[in-house]
Amino acid sequence: MKDLLKALPWIGPAVALIAAVVLFPIGLMLWNSTRDITQSGLDDGGVGLANFAAVVGFQYFWPILGRTVVWVVVVVACTLFGSLALAALLNKAFPGRRLVRMAVIVPWAASVVMTTLVVHYGLEPYFGIINSFLVDIGLIDTPEGYGWTRHAGTAFAWAMAVAVFVSLPFTTYTILAGLQTVPGETVEAARIDGASGVRTYFSVVLPQLRSAVSVAVLINIINVFNSLPILRVMTGSIPGYDADTVMTMIFKYMQNQRQIDLASALSVIAFLVVIGIVAIYVRVVRPLEEV
Amino acid sequence: MAQYKRLGGIMAITLAATTGLTACGFGGSGGGEESGDGTTLDLLVPSYSDATQGLWNDVIAGFEEENPDVQVNLQVESWDNLESVIATRIQGGDAPDIYNGGPFAGFAEDELLYPVDEVTSDETYASFQPSFLDNAQVDGTTYGLPWIASSRALFVNDALLEEAGAEVPATWDELLESAKKVSELGGGVAGYGMPLGSEEAQAEAAVWLWGGGGSFGDAEAITIDTPENLEGAEFIKKMIDEGATQADAGATDRSPLFDIFVQGKIGMQIGLPPSVGQIESDNPDLEYSIHPIPTKDGEPFTLGVADHLMAFKNDGDKQEAITSFFDYLYTADVYVPWVQAEGFLPTTLSASEQLADDEALAPFLEGLPDAQFYPSTNPDWNAADSAFKALFGQLGGDKSAQDVLTEIQARVDEG
Repeated sequence: MKDLLKALPWIGPAVALIAAVVLFPIGLMLWNSTRDITQSGLDDGGVGLANFAAVVGFQYFWPILGRTVVWVVVVVACTLFGSLALAALLNKAFPGRRLVRMAVIVPWAASVVMTTLVVHYGLEPYFGIINSFLVDIGLIDTPEGYGWTRHAGTAFAWAMAVAVFVSLPFTTYTILAGLQTVPGETVEAARIDGASGVRTYFSVVLPQLRSAVSVAVLINIINVFNSLPILRVMTGSIPGYDADTVMTMIFKYMQNQRQIDLASALSVIAFLVVIGIVAIYVRVVRPLEEV
Repeated sequence: MAQYKRLGGIMAITLAATTGLTACGFGGSGGGEESGDGTTLDLLVPSYSDATQGLWNDVIAGFEEENPDVQVNLQVESWDNLESVIATRIQGGDAPDIYNGGPFAGFAEDELLYPVDEVTSDETYASFQPSFLDNAQVDGTTYGLPWIASSRALFVNDALLEEAGAEVPATWDELLESAKKVSELGGGVAGYGMPLGSEEAQAEAAVWLWGGGGSFGDAEAITIDTPENLEGAEFIKKMIDEGATQADAGATDRSPLFDIFVQGKIGMQIGLPPSVGQIESDNPDLEYSIHPIPTKDGEPFTLGVADHLMAFKNDGDKQEAITSFFDYLYTADVYVPWVQAEGFLPTTLSASEQLADDEALAPFLEGLPDAQFYPSTNPDWNAADSAFKALFGQLGGDKSAQDVLTEIQARVDEG
């Protein structure tokens, strides 16, 4: 107890910061999710769990939740495999490697909204360059192109592609950092024992990447689950709820329907889902333990 | 390692907590500090164009010169953000004193607004067009000051119609026929531009459903799922199915589609007064003309939209300052240039007369007597509006017109 008091001046600012930017918003979100808030923002009193019942009872809730799972699994998996390959490449010595390594950072450094908008405009019928290209090489017969972002399926697929694109740099660099900690002797020993390149990679290098990969996956899961801008831009004009994830649905509650109470309730659900996923992941993979 | 673990835990929680941050929408911005002597008015307005901020700054400068004891703070937001900003500010107990927006009935119902006659002089109040005032009332009390208005008309690409040998339509059947002829020109040309995407689906819906004799209801009840409305919705489907429109009508937003019209690839599309200016600046060579909106049987009709100014009560101590601001704002020398610069229609009688010989606005001003408005005084209109934006575009898909209307009505009834 005495130690704690002594430590307080040092940890105080950090505790205050966490309370202000993490605990307070969470508390407010929980509070709002149990209130009846009018469209103009007035609090009309508590309603218990009615907001949660309304959100879960919404006829598209389960499809949206399922789509969120697909979104997270596909994006994270593609990102991971892409990054493993890319990191292996960037770990080899070749002329111009430094330039290539820098180029990989670009999607990370650019604003996500900007990157998505570039792709979105490229996909527009009539003037998008991706559409023009596909028309020119004869893959699309309609002269104005295909409305990629006008159909739930294709818009969602393109959104996933953009999400993988912007997630690659961080993941690649995490794995690259891991690759550089793999001792050269282990690889050399494998080679002397006559192991092929593929065998060396899967049996010697990959196991040593375990902690790098598992941390990268953990952070990606949280990031991708909470990603709004890409889907918002790519699927924003699609009517109905056939391309929504939990995040875009929260946004629709808040922005379009101005139901802050329902948006908060769905946020709480999303928050619990993320915590659940992370808890299970940490439990099963134990990413933060030594190999 | 233990330390690393804790760090990882904190990181995970922090990242996960962004969910909370994005969703709770808390954080009223400041800007309401009172100056020592006199009153400060907070003004929250949307951006109609790149010029909006400058126009307001001019108004405020002129006003402050005449009323040195009142200071006006201006906050300009995009239309996309406007409604969440106002909701957040009200929730944070920091409502602006004067707000320029669309729907006001929800605020009136929450008793946040001054009745208009308490914050304007009798002269200013009497200068509004009666039809606009009727549209700004809740239970007989006016809560919104009609600010600027727009009506719709059919923009026709004369060159395309001539090439296709099509007539300018007055009824739906003629529209279908003309649009199909234009579509058959090929080369990516579409006959009729039908934007049912989320941006402004409610407007295209009104043009069709009301043009067939339907309505969205009145101040007492929102009625979407009616036989009259169904007729319009089914004709929309017919237009799409017979290839008279551009592809993917259900998910096409209005502004980008009108860009295509300006580029000369669309035969006919519904446009607004500012569309005239857009064509003039982007493609002055476009051969086009403006016509009344085709309806089922050719009856004249247009969709009118008025944006309103409203005065929030807050602490109730700024009534006088607000009154002097509104009276200044609606004097012809201030009001007419403002409306003209933004390319919209005025809501006062005197300004309408003054602008009557403006060639670009004439077709729209003509339509105003037949204008019908959204039932925006009904508190449920907000729900209906968002339901149209979210669901009406499904007409472009496999859903039947009946199912779409039923779904929208159900959403409205939920509130």
